[in-house]
Amino acid sequence: MATVVTTRKQGQGLPKIIYISAAWNIIIMLGSFALSYILFTQEPNKQLKDLGDNVRYFLALIALIPAAAAMYSVYGLLARRPGGRYASMALNYVGAVLSCLYLLHLWGVFIAFDDAGKALFENSFLLWGFVIAYAVYWLAGRLPEYSPSRRYLEMFAIGVAMLALIALLLLGGAVEGVWNVISTYGELQTWAVTIVVIIFAFVGYQILNQGDFFGETPDQRTSWQGWLMVSPNIIGFMLFFAGPLLLSFYLSFTDSEPGSIPDVIGFKNYGDILSLEFKTLDDPEANPQRALSFGYIPLDDFKIGNTRVVIGAKDVLFWKSLRNTIVFCMMLVPLSSIPALLLAVIMNSKIPGMKFFRAAYFLPSVAAVVGTALIWRWLYASDIGYINYAITEFVNGINSIFGTQIEYQKTQWLTDQGILLFSIVLLAAWQAVGFNTVLFLAGLQGIPTTLYEASFVDGANRVQQFRHVTLPLLAPTTFYVIVTTVITGLQVFNEPYALISSRPIPDAATTSVIYLYNRGFFRFEFGYASAVAWLLFALIFVVTIAQFRLQRSGSYDV
Amino acid sequence: MSKRLLVAALVLVMAIAAFAVPMTAAQEEVQLVWRTRPDNQAEIDVYTAASQQIDEAWDGVSLTYSPGGQEGAGYQDVLIAELEAGTAPDVFWIPGTDVARFAELGLILNLHDLASADPEFNADDFYPGPMGFLTTPLEEGQEVLWGLPRDASAFAIYYNADLFDEAGLDYPAAGWTWDDFFTAAEEITNLGEEVKGFGMNAWWANWGYWINAAGSRFFTEDYKACGLNNDATVVGLEAARSLFANGWAVPWGEDSEPPFLAGNVGMFMNGRWATPGTIANADFNWNVAPLPEGPGGPTNWLFWGAYVVNANTAHPEEAWELITRLTSAEIQGQIASLGANIPSRANQEAIDLFLATLPDSGVNNQVFTDGLQVAVTEAPLFFGDWPAIDAEYANQVNLVLNGELSAQEFADTICDRVAPFFDSAQ
Repeated sequence: MATVVTTRKQGQGLPKIIYISAAWNIIIMLGSFALSYILFTQEPNKQLKDLGDNVRYFLALIALIPAAAAMYSVYGLLARRPGGRYASMALNYVGAVLSCLYLLHLWGVFIAFDDAGKALFENSFLLWGFVIAYAVYWLAGRLPEYSPSRRYLEMFAIGVAMLALIALLLLGGAVEGVWNVISTYGELQTWAVTIVVIIFAFVGYQILNQGDFFGETPDQRTSWQGWLMVSPNIIGFMLFFAGPLLLSFYLSFTDSEPGSIPDVIGFKNYGDILSLEFKTLDDPEANPQRALSFGYIPLDDFKIGNTRVVIGAKDVLFWKSLRNTIVFCMMLVPLSSIPALLLAVIMNSKIPGMKFFRAAYFLPSVAAVVGTALIWRWLYASDIGYINYAITEFVNGINSIFGTQIEYQKTQWLTDQGILLFSIVLLAAWQAVGFNTVLFLAGLQGIPTTLYEASFVDGANRVQQFRHVTLPLLAPTTFYVIVTTVITGLQVFNEPYALISSRPIPDAATTSVIYLYNRGFFRFEFGYASAVAWLLFALIFVVTIAQFRLQRSGSYDV
Repeated sequence: MSKRLLVAALVLVMAIAAFAVPMTAAQEEVQLVWRTRPDNQAEIDVYTAASQQIDEAWDGVSLTYSPGGQEGAGYQDVLIAELEAGTAPDVFWIPGTDVARFAELGLILNLHDLASADPEFNADDFYPGPMGFLTTPLEEGQEVLWGLPRDASAFAIYYNADLFDEAGLDYPAAGWTWDDFFTAAEEITNLGEEVKGFGMNAWWANWGYWINAAGSRFFTEDYKACGLNNDATVVGLEAARSLFANGWAVPWGEDSEPPFLAGNVGMFMNGRWATPGTIANADFNWNVAPLPEGPGGPTNWLFWGAYVVNANTAHPEEAWELITRLTSAEIQGQIASLGANIPSRANQEAIDLFLATLPDSGVNNQVFTDGLQVAVTEAPLFFGDWPAIDAEYANQVNLVLNGELSAQEFADTICDRVAPFFDSAQ
């Protein structure tokens, strides 16, 4: 191992780039301290002001992280420690990416995507140029390798493609766009950010090339290259997922509303959501509302002997939506996994035409929910829908064959509050079956055929093979299917939102996510909606952990 | 290597920058962005044309029209997110019921001072109902103007004349009553298994008509408490319930528009906004009639929405002028020509403009303007939480109309149920 790291030039002085990088890192450190100080002491803009002081202070603390990293990297670089180099690389890389994003913002690139898309759409006929170029190039490839015709044709194809590209750029307003970018350099800020981007990129790249000087091993190189590969995802996750997630967690403890600075109210939101009251009524006919404290609404009631117990809740709809969501999940899991397993077993056979059916059953999973929900709305229509029509015809058939007098009262699939949720589950299960089938199919194809052969030799029939070979070996797939279906079910939003035309959506079809959406965007209670979201997260987390525990304890090992 | 990398990066950045947004307007011009919620592409086109017309006639101001998502497609979500982020348009449209909430949250500007300084502005030019709500103060003694109504609308009965002919019924006309209506609903339903006499969609204004027509109201006169705990509410809801119980109506909660357009529903209650779609899609003879008179007398709804000014606009004076221009008789006439809206100006000129719309369709436009004369105005609730009250009302009404709760029980309990959502409860 020692021979690998002897490339470290112990006896030599530090390269200039190390000093330059250290100096730059000191600037970053001072800049981060300054930013942190500004955030602690001032309100830099309206957006931050609207989020309240706590968020500002938190961001001020976050701003100290690059300061600490810069401090360490200065020490590490000068002390020739690999950690210093990595810190400097990371700092400059992240700095380059973030400042580059800001530069693109200053150039107006992000708000130009709409225009770019529109320009491409309006001039989409030019895309034929690429098609023609490809066809000509493909034809040229059929000619003898060194023939002049082939070369001319290839050059012609490239020319057509280039012309199409140039025409697309010109007609799409590329010249105007470039001019607009150039015009942003009338602002000092654009110059400053551009220079910062270049320095970050330059220093980062130079330090990256100092691997030999710091005695970098191949493993270490592979390691940072791996981090580099996943860095776009990590940066995206931090900016667009982790950040908002933390903010929503904070907001759940505030009274956040649009247009006002949120005040921290502790656990009030959670308290209001979860508050329940139990009251007894001696007169069973009495109005339960009158028995409850002000602010509580009857959620449910039951009898113990002659006494009627009324359960009141401050937020009745939260409890109803939670109950709907749980019931939805309990119905969705079997309805989307058992048919999927059976379909997968059938599709795993060598019957001709199975590939078609695999595609056909998967189709609902890739279809847009809104579109399919509208179709299901028609299917469910009580008077003219095909489902009731089919049931009616079936009942009529039974009556005519057996001479019975069965009368089918048309089911009100979308209006009967008692079966509304089931109607939504049917749609969701229909959509999920295809995807689950593919998962089960993959699991089935991973089971060695030798096991079936061995069991056959031992005298097992098909059912016994399914019971004692297929199901146990499918346990990991089954577990995965159940976990993902449960999580999807607990987050259900699209299906009820698109399927139900009543507004507001009736209580019987309100799921937890619909409820939090309504609280956030119709009642403008961002803090309260955030608290609902975090309670839902807690529920999903607990259910998932419980499922993992069950799997570990072997409950899924059928 | 490093040079090549730098050059490649530069080329990449320049390529991306090639699509940067055109900065067409001169820097010295005031830039205003405004938004409405259009119902379709035709509306987007007519609003875009109106924006361009105003822009060309207005020196020193450059307008950008930003059509919002259609109903149910995120108009409200996007607007709220943009208001929170500080990137919302300078002027935007909101439904009438939202005005109070936006005002209470300080999201929209009080335009009273700007309006007072404008010699050409006259509040009496508009229907008094919406203007009454748009001038409702948050505190006593405050003088306010929260915006100007973009347009107005009213319900009508869209009837399938072919089904009326088949049932041997006279077409509905002014002065017809609930008795006439129920007779027609029953007779038309009897025409066939797949035919229904009536249909209405499940949202507040539809069941609200039955309440209003029976003589009740959603709220007390001062809009500070629930107004549904009375006998008229029971009468209204029982009448509505009978339609579903007898099988004369498309089940409550199902979308009635597709079966109506398919020719399977005799009468469909909907607003003026449905007229262009009906012209385009109905393959049968149809027209519109007034809503039938109930025991409470003739009634209707006055639906409206308002142009309001973003509280954080950098150009309040220009934003005010923009909404006065957008609500001018000329622009309202252009918008109304599509057939989906009624001008919010109540003068004869605006009414004549509306009556002249869709001349080839034969639609009885007068029904809508007459409806506005007897209408209850869609109310923003300054003293309560309307979304919460709406949800509670709707859930209990669903139970009544689906036969799971009696109208009497509804009237006995509903006001207790919604009491926590009124300010007076705090």
